[in-house]
Parts: sequence; structure tokens; C-alpha cells
Amino acid sequence: MKNQLLVRKIDHGTVIDHIPAWRAEMVMRLLDIEAIRAQPDVSLVSLNNVPSGKLGRKDIIKLTHYHLDEGDADLVYLVFPTVSINYIEGWEPRKYKPKIPERVSGRLRCPEVRCITNAEREPVVARFSVLPEFNVLQCEYCDSLIDFEKMPDYVIGE
Amino acid sequence: MDETGFLNRDVISIKDFSREELDLIFKTAMDVEENPGRYYGSHPDKRVALLFLEPSTRTFGSFNTSAENLGCKILSNRSPEVTSMAKGETLHDTIKMIECYDTDCIVIRDRHMGSARFASEVTELPVVNGGSGSQEHPTQAMLDLYTILKRRGRIDGIRIGLTGDLRYGRTCSSLSYGLVNYDDVELFFVAPGILQVRREVEIYLQQRGVPYIKSESLGEVIGDLDVLYVTRVQKERFPDPTDYERVKGSYVVDLQVLGKAREELGVMHPLPRIDELHADVDKTSHAWYFEQAANGVPVRTALLHHVLGG
Repeated sequence: MKNQLLVRKIDHGTVIDHIPAWRAEMVMRLLDIEAIRAQPDVSLVSLNNVPSGKLGRKDIIKLTHYHLDEGDADLVYLVFPTVSINYIEGWEPRKYKPKIPERVSGRLRCPEVRCITNAEREPVVARFSVLPEFNVLQCEYCDSLIDFEKMPDYVIGE
Repeated sequence: MDETGFLNRDVISIKDFSREELDLIFKTAMDVEENPGRYYGSHPDKRVALLFLEPSTRTFGSFNTSAENLGCKILSNRSPEVTSMAKGETLHDTIKMIECYDTDCIVIRDRHMGSARFASEVTELPVVNGGSGSQEHPTQAMLDLYTILKRRGRIDGIRIGLTGDLRYGRTCSSLSYGLVNYDDVELFFVAPGILQVRREVEIYLQQRGVPYIKSESLGEVIGDLDVLYVTRVQKERFPDPTDYERVKGSYVVDLQVLGKAREELGVMHPLPRIDELHADVDKTSHAWYFEQAANGVPVRTALLHHVLGG
């Protein structure tokens, strides 16, 4: 079965393709879901475990009438580097070229359990500097590191 | 007008300080030692809060003495058990409360890594990190560098070994960070694999091109060193107690180990020591550690003097 049979093309919005299989829910947790919900005409379709020539199996998220913030797109790409993000306007896709962000704030938790950002009830969110030359994120509070490939393990849960 | 840049400045990490800024602290600390009368009673209108939520002897004692010497009023909280944190109050709210008491500076020690950075974001008051979990202890690094400077005349060109618990010991991390300000420094990290230096420290050194060597054998490197910085290997860090029993004797510094050292080698230790540094060493010229501890007062007096507007 071809992918396009599962969900129709969109005329305007954002498609996040080539998400590793069964990780679409995690990608949604990386997005500003409140901003998405705040727009009444936005529809979100999430496809799981569809066949992919590149990945074998993959997930796809289609956001109709929603232009994904480029900072969010960069974060999704940082955590899941296989993704491709297309902005759709008038049925025409434009592939977004992601940038490596300098900082990540609020979407990942610090791996160090003794970090102040993991202390119970303290009103503080983890913030990381990105060190691309070492393939790590560094917590700006406790200095602990997250390897790029371990980032999915630290996406903040529901 | 504050020309030093220190007025109301946070002291969170030694990484935030340049060589010139450290030089200023050391110059003032030297002056505190030589001309204490210039500083004693010089800040009678200031109040310093000492929020020590973990045990401390030297850091608390020297900050307390320094603040007293400057004539400051002192608001002292020495453990979470005697603050409302025992009732579940957050660090955030504790800091906001201290702000209310006409305070000019907060010195904080807390078991959480990143606690001092967070505290500095909660308040406009200057925050001085007196030890943030196993992360950093910047004022200890300042007095360590000051001790090397006084004893050796310069920090440039030093070959320094750091041994013991490098992974969880905040003093070794902060001293390593501080040493990058100096030329031709070489570091030797001597510890069992499980307690070796943290990767973020290695990355920091690599980013700044500072050479370092990791070794498990003190005997292999001690003959090359100008300074040996000893810390305690803590039994509770080892998941398997037999691993501790196997390695503990390898990192004890005694007269036999020092027999292979250069005559001018200085032995430093942030203290307290248990059995990793033998008391026989106290009587030798290698022993710098009690002077090192005593240097906490002039260095912290100098730091508070500048932060409070010296």
C-alpha cells in the first residue's frame, strides 16, 4: 500500500517525514503543542510504522494549516536527524534546511538526577547548550552531558 | 563607579573568571594578609547570608570569618533541617525570603548540582557558590590557585597531578577549569576508571587546548609533578565494595610514595582527609594543605570585599 493512500496531500501546512517508526508521539512532545491547539483550523494527522524506502519503517506527521516554527523544526531535526521537514504552500512542498540550534530549553530533561532542574517542585526548566563539535548537549545548570544519539531518552513526557 | 567589574557579581563557576580577574582577587588577598586593617570593619552596612544546606567546616568557617572581618552583619542558615526547607519549602522560595532581610549577598551551598546558578536567576542579589553538589566549588579553586601562586611564585608552567575521586569531587573539577587561564599547564588525572575525571571537564580542557593525561598509577606520574592535589576516594562511590578494597591502597599518599617525588613537590588537599594522606607527610616540606586551608580567609575576604563594593 502506498503512503498517499493512507492520507491525502495537503495544500498548506507542514509535513514531518522520515520520523523513526513509533516516534511520532515523541516528536509531538517536542513541538509547541499549545500553539498548535490554539489555532482552530489546524488538523494533525500522525501515521505510524508505514513502509519507507529510506528507513524500512517510519512515522509521518502532517499539520494542515500550520507553519511549524523553525526553531521547533531545528529541535526535531536535532533529536531525530533522519527527519525531513517540508513546508507546503499551494500544494507545493519546500524542503526546510535545518540549522543546529545553539540552545535547547524546556523540551528535554537533564540526565543528572541530582541536577536542580530535577529537584521536586523547584520552578526551573532544564536548558542546554549545544556543542556540535562533541555531539553533545550540556546542561547550563549542572554541566552534565547528553550525547546526541541519547536525546530521545530525555524528551520530557506528558 | 566600580572599575573592577566585581560589584554585585555572581560567583557561580570558576569558568566565568578570566586570568586578570583572578589576579585581582589574589592581589587583594595578598593585601588582606599584609594590611588587614584596610579591610577590617570596612563594610559595616552590609549583610551577608550564609545559606549552607550541606555540611561544611572550612568553607562556612572562612566565609563567616571573612564576613565578620569586613564588619558585615551575618544571616546564617546552616542546614536544611533548621530552615523551612524541612517543611518542603523550595530553594526558590528560600532565596526569595532571604532577599527580604536586607541582604546584600548570598553565599550558598546545596547538594544539588546547578543550585547556585538557579539561585542567581531567582534573585538580583549577588550569589556566591559555596559548593554545588559534586559539580563545582569555585572559591575553593580560587584559594587553591592562590596557594600555588604564593608557594611557587607562578602558576604558569605547572605540572599538576589530581588524584582520588575526580568524578564526584567538585574541587578537582573547579581547579581544572581554573587552571586553563594559565600558560603551559599540564594536568595528570590519577584515579581508578570508575572515579576518573568527568567528560565535561575533558571537553572543557580540549576546547581550550590544555594537555592532560589520565592514569591509574600514582607511581608512574609522581616524579614529574610540581603539585599533587589529593582528594578522598569514597567507599560509597563503588557499587561493588570489593572494587574499593582493591584500589583504596593505590591512592594513599605517604612518605614511601613521596620518596619518588621531586624535592619541591607541593601536596595539596581540600580537606577533610581520612586515610588517603598520611599524617607523616605533615612534617615534610611537601605539606601545603594546612596553609591552603588557611588561605580560604584572605581569598574569601578579598572576594566578598569586591562583590560588596570594595
